[in-house]
Amino acid sequence: MMNATTISSSDLSGLAADLLAARVRVAGPARASDGTVEYRHAGAPAELVLDSGVPRRSLKEFFLPPTEPLFAWRTGAGGRVELLEAPLPADPAVVIGARPCDAAGIEALDKVMGWDYRDEPWFARREATTIVSLACAGFDRSCMCTSVGLAPDTTKGSDLLLVPIGGGAFRAEVVTAKGARLVAAYPARFRPASGEAEAEAFRKAAREKVAASAPPAADPLRPWLDAHFDHPLWREASLRCHGCGACAAVCPTCHCFDIVDEPETVGTGVRRRNWDTCQTPRFTIHASGHNPKNDQPARIRQRVLHKIVIYPKKFGEMLCTGCGRCSRACPGGMDLPEVLARIAALAGGAQ
Amino acid sequence: MTELRELAKKLLAEGAAKVVIGWEEGPRGVRPAFATDAAAADRLVFDARCAHDLAPYLDRRRVHVAKLGRPAVVVKPCDARAVAGLIRETQVKREDVVLVGVRCGGVLADPEAGGTLSADTIADRCRTCDSRETALADHVVGTPVEPLAAPSRRDARVAELDAMTPAQRWAFWQGELARCTRCNACRQVCPLCYCDRCMADKTQPQWIESSPHGRGNLSWHLLRAIHLAGRCVDCGECERACPSGIPLGLITRKVASVVADRFGHKPGDDPAVPSPIGTWRSDDPQEFIL
Amino acid sequence: MNVYQPFTVRVAEVTDETADTRTLKLEFTDPAVAERFDFRAGQFGEYSVFGAGECTFCIASPPTRKGYIECSFKSVGKVTKAMRELNVGDVMGFRGPYGNHFPLPSLYGKSVVFVAGGIGLAPVRCVIWNVLDLRDKFKDVTIVYGARTVADLVYKRELEEWGKRPDVKLWTTVDPGGETPDWKGKVGFVPAIVEQAAPSARDAVAVVCGPPIMIKFTLPVLKKLGFTDDRIYTTLENRMKCGIGKCGRCNIGHVYVCKDGPVFTAAEMAALPPEF
Repeated sequence: MMNATTISSSDLSGLAADLLAARVRVAGPARASDGTVEYRHAGAPAELVLDSGVPRRSLKEFFLPPTEPLFAWRTGAGGRVELLEAPLPADPAVVIGARPCDAAGIEALDKVMGWDYRDEPWFARREATTIVSLACAGFDRSCMCTSVGLAPDTTKGSDLLLVPIGGGAFRAEVVTAKGARLVAAYPARFRPASGEAEAEAFRKAAREKVAASAPPAADPLRPWLDAHFDHPLWREASLRCHGCGACAAVCPTCHCFDIVDEPETVGTGVRRRNWDTCQTPRFTIHASGHNPKNDQPARIRQRVLHKIVIYPKKFGEMLCTGCGRCSRACPGGMDLPEVLARIAALAGGAQ
Repeated sequence: MTELRELAKKLLAEGAAKVVIGWEEGPRGVRPAFATDAAAADRLVFDARCAHDLAPYLDRRRVHVAKLGRPAVVVKPCDARAVAGLIRETQVKREDVVLVGVRCGGVLADPEAGGTLSADTIADRCRTCDSRETALADHVVGTPVEPLAAPSRRDARVAELDAMTPAQRWAFWQGELARCTRCNACRQVCPLCYCDRCMADKTQPQWIESSPHGRGNLSWHLLRAIHLAGRCVDCGECERACPSGIPLGLITRKVASVVADRFGHKPGDDPAVPSPIGTWRSDDPQEFIL
Repeated sequence: MNVYQPFTVRVAEVTDETADTRTLKLEFTDPAVAERFDFRAGQFGEYSVFGAGECTFCIASPPTRKGYIECSFKSVGKVTKAMRELNVGDVMGFRGPYGNHFPLPSLYGKSVVFVAGGIGLAPVRCVIWNVLDLRDKFKDVTIVYGARTVADLVYKRELEEWGKRPDVKLWTTVDPGGETPDWKGKVGFVPAIVEQAAPSARDAVAVVCGPPIMIKFTLPVLKKLGFTDDRIYTTLENRMKCGIGKCGRCNIGHVYVCKDGPVFTAAEMAALPPEF
């Protein structure tokens, strides 16, 4: 698939305009009311602000919204209940300027959403959406993509990857057939491939920048974690944890959800799926009152292990893309790179 | 800083406290610290980056913190007001905690960015705080500080919202609250949100819809505003913690001004002064009761 | 129809088992679904009352009885209270069957020992009836069932029926102090009664379900009798929402109880982190 093309900043903007004109939804990093950047749907190309930092929350909400209806019910005469299926979200959309770590998270989630039972709302959005990522230059010291087998220029999850080549232009690498279709649909916006050396230099510098401050690789820590389920580490790490769900809310791969019924009127209502988080006691409590994850250390352990032990064992890949958002968002100052470095030190000492 | 560290070491050495909860340098600026020995006490810091309110760590539900033993907590004046609230509402016994007051001239609006405190960089809530040190503390450290004269942008924004038509105000809050995902960070970091089972978590009956849609978010933030009326100490943690950048301080500030206006009350650091929500007087204003 | 949309089922029969435990017999409203619906003993489903929400229970009736499913529940939370309000003819939702199941065909020719406590008899009952409906495929069938008091015993009519069958050895027991003057069964805790019953482990498997404390003290007794960990089965309960391996609630280590379980051997459970 790997072929490439070139696109200028103005043509990228033009591409967004073309898409909007064709009634394709365009989303990407844009300024919120308080000036910070978040992923949002853009009404005009000028709203997109590329490479302006890490958007506050990840890209996952375009595929797994914070709340979505699963179906509605209506009780009729004689106690008859009619279920009204929620229409599958199939509006075509293009994300422009996704961070590669966010795109990678979406692909990682395909596994859990698709094993055995297929989560149709997720895959309907996946199929309707083309992801154009922008290679990252490395953002700050909480970045750790290189510790989880990725890189600031990873193509995982992206359909098209843009790499800056100077002069406001990007080398666009076609990653998937969907990416190729986008290029083919708007040929006027793309030029013959160029800037291979510049792109390579950008990518190399970005990898080195992230690797310089990232913790050791998470993969080799698994045997130690398996052997030390009960370890004082979790108590220490969780002291400052408030048990809020900020980390999960901003995470590109935290996908746990709740299912609730909400009556609308007498006899009608909607069953919805909402974001949820393993960081609250309610998450795992049984009807009997018994709670297998009864304190914050157990819940912090669950979050870390789900990302670097449970998911890899189950689905063969990490459930962390190293985006660093959990560290940035934590009101208690917890830091995943620090926790991983600590585990690596313990594991190194144990060998 | 030396004074704080020496005091912390003394408290630990003499057994007056088993853990000193303060701040330390972390990977992204300062963060809460739990010093149980002299070495950790020597890492404690206090400066204008110490925005975190540490009072929530006294919450009885934080069993893993309680296990460390009798705590000493470093408190800014706003944090002391929070501890006073917990004492007033019988969540904490005054004699069960050692309070180390720090003299405070305000904290930075962006603690992570660091820098020096100035009329430009000071957090908005500190512009309207008139407390430089607390009388509730067992010990007070630091040098006396003068307040910075800086106009409150938040008060200006509240005034703008007040001047709006109800429809405009509705549109403004609909837009802001649409970003809420109900992660509960605002509740979890709030020192006064200590309920064992939050009303928003109750299902029988379900008072508040848990879905982060317009209806659910509006009811949640209204519930929170009302439950904190006259209790909120303006520590700013809810707004700092919100991963979606919702200006929750505008709500708490507005409610505080209503409480001050109608009940002549402002939450202080004296646990003996009751809060309006916990008392009844025959001359309480009632014109807002429908 | 997305995977979260349930079948609608109609309450066909309501049976009170104890003061707070009830069994609903449910029939699919769509005859086509009723026709093709099939499951295996040990599987579970998500039952829902529209407006109250979903709740996870095993299917308590055996797959050998077609056209309906049964569900036994204790009224504890919002959904189970709403389920208790339902009358014959009312409609509710059901998604399933989900999860793995007891490996029945591989047990043909063996003896089966059932050990259950309290409402833990519900998932075991499904297997018991499955085995009894195919009685000639199995050797000895032993059932040890206990509850705190006589009033807490569930499926009383069926206990009576099993007790009368010559091809079933039934031991019922209640905790000391839980007996009534006319109680004919044993008095004592389940593990002690299992020891008294002393079923032979020769060519036999055990199916155990009940409160964690009962399981904890029953396993050593079974081991003493010669049951190895790979021949002791149990079914785990964990809080679930989706039931299909997505919502992230039920993992114990890398095991998703809803997909890799709920049926596990004692050997499999011993390999899990101690978090259930």
